Amino acid sequence: MITYVSVGLLGLLTLSIPVGIVLFLLGFGVDTFFSSFPLTRGLGNMVWSSSNSATLIAIPFFVLLGEILVRSGVATRTYAALDRWVSWLPGGLVHANVATATMFSATSGSSVATAATVATVAMPQAEKLGYDPKLFSGAIAAGGTLGIMIPPSINLIVYGFLTQSSIPQLFLAGLIPGIALAIAFMAVTALICTIRPDLGGTRRTFPFSLMLRALIDLVPILILFGLIVGSIYAGWATPTEAAAVGVAGALVIALAFGGVSLSMLTQSLTGTVKITSMIMLIVIGASFLNFTLASAGLGRELTEFMTGLGLTPLKTILVVVVLYIVLGFFIETLSLMVVTIPIIVPLVLAQGYDVIWFGILMIVLIEMALITPPVGLNLYVVQGARKSGSLNEVMLGALPYCLTMLAMAFALIAFPSIALFLPNALQ
Amino acid sequence: MELTMIETLRKLNKGVALVVGFGLLACAGFVLTDIIMRQIGTSLGGTEEIAGYAMALATSWGMSYTLLELGHVRIDLLRSRAGAFKRALFDVFSMIVVSGVIITIAIKAWPVVERSLTNGSRANTPLETPLIWVQAPWFAGWIWFALMSTLTTLAALSLLLKRRHAETESFVGAFAEQDTLQ
Repeated sequence: MITYVSVGLLGLLTLSIPVGIVLFLLGFGVDTFFSSFPLTRGLGNMVWSSSNSATLIAIPFFVLLGEILVRSGVATRTYAALDRWVSWLPGGLVHANVATATMFSATSGSSVATAATVATVAMPQAEKLGYDPKLFSGAIAAGGTLGIMIPPSINLIVYGFLTQSSIPQLFLAGLIPGIALAIAFMAVTALICTIRPDLGGTRRTFPFSLMLRALIDLVPILILFGLIVGSIYAGWATPTEAAAVGVAGALVIALAFGGVSLSMLTQSLTGTVKITSMIMLIVIGASFLNFTLASAGLGRELTEFMTGLGLTPLKTILVVVVLYIVLGFFIETLSLMVVTIPIIVPLVLAQGYDVIWFGILMIVLIEMALITPPVGLNLYVVQGARKSGSLNEVMLGALPYCLTMLAMAFALIAFPSIALFLPNALQ
Repeated sequence: MELTMIETLRKLNKGVALVVGFGLLACAGFVLTDIIMRQIGTSLGGTEEIAGYAMALATSWGMSYTLLELGHVRIDLLRSRAGAFKRALFDVFSMIVVSGVIITIAIKAWPVVERSLTNGSRANTPLETPLIWVQAPWFAGWIWFALMSTLTTLAALSLLLKRRHAETESFVGAFAEQDTLQ
């Protein structure tokens, strides 16, 4: 059954059938070939119960929040403000790319939205100031991936939903690794630009008064982050409700900056519906496949399979890491996460690993998938925002950051408390 | 003719998406009101339940818009390496499969509605919502999606048979991948 699902999955995906539909097809297949009673009879109920979910409504809310911030021009102001604070470092504006992406991650649940935002505002600057296009665009693609790690994160909500683990705990667990990755990205940039100063463009310093004034533009984003995360941990709101708070906050900020118009609002709303439905088709498909696999006795088969292999827990995790890196070349973030959860998570938990910790490790690995060719969405997004040059340049530029993420994955395996410290401390 | 039909479907579903979008916005407002009211010691009650219903409806009715805007994620590793004609074959085949699956879902969704109808089922919650109020429009959304995907498939198939395969790319292709968020 494991072989059937894995081969079927890859086969159907390469036929370029939509990912969500592939998951349904596999579910039908499991029902036909491996189950003694008709599981498809439960299909209607599965579709109803997996979409009638107050947890998942956080997805459209967080998407809407991001859309509002991007379309109202708040992103541009943030970038300009951060530029004044970090451009004195070796690597100059490249740090502003990472820092803006980090701040945006803290309010947006999506990586591609983050990368698209930063790319649009940053790219015109790169040519003007003589930066190496490779490193510059690679940093945007990589920085953008932080969107799914630093809370709020749509991917963590989906992970929590499918594995029935606590979303507030997942959010807490993602905070330190997310910030650590941002710092590591900046350190790597500084290191590269110290060795090869020609890559880093002009370093600029701004008068202190200008830096202080720039802080005003950062305040809205910080308040928004505080509102969302604060209301969850103060016990006022569930993650879902906090997302609604975030939408209201984003609207207020957009209004304050004069960025709200009817066309901006309709674009944000239809954009939200489009992305939400895309995610939900995959989530519902995965719930159905989960259900058929569990009913057909996947658990038993997995245990037998693992005992047969005789791997130690550590070796299992290493196999999982390699698997994600390989799959990550071809499959995209959310799809990659959702299609593998039904098989991989039970396998990892059976080895005694923590479900929250594995969620974070999985996010790091999936972030890598976003910037590894040939299918790396962030690479395309950044390339799309550039006017010239080839995709290869973005890929090359993203490579150092890719290796940084790999190091982070190993750090998480060696020191699980990087992820688990905060959730445990605040329990 | 096919392209005019697709254009009409797109306009229709854009309208649907706007209604869904404003519905979600209203739902956010509702949830926010409840949080504020809880702080002053009272509550609207039932927000969680209503948010769930909103999500179910938004999902079933939003699907067609995403379909027509080419928003459902596809892996086009092989497809992107093929020529225009083969690409159209990939697309039409994929659409036939999509329609088949969605029609199956719509058919299998009926028993859920039927049971609520015959038993007069109410939600197991403080609001005791009659489930049919929510499940009927939810079911209608899946029927709508099944209808939209079938019409899209037929339009693409018809163009393919007329050897106008280059024109199918705009409504069953996969190029919109780049501006799909996530």
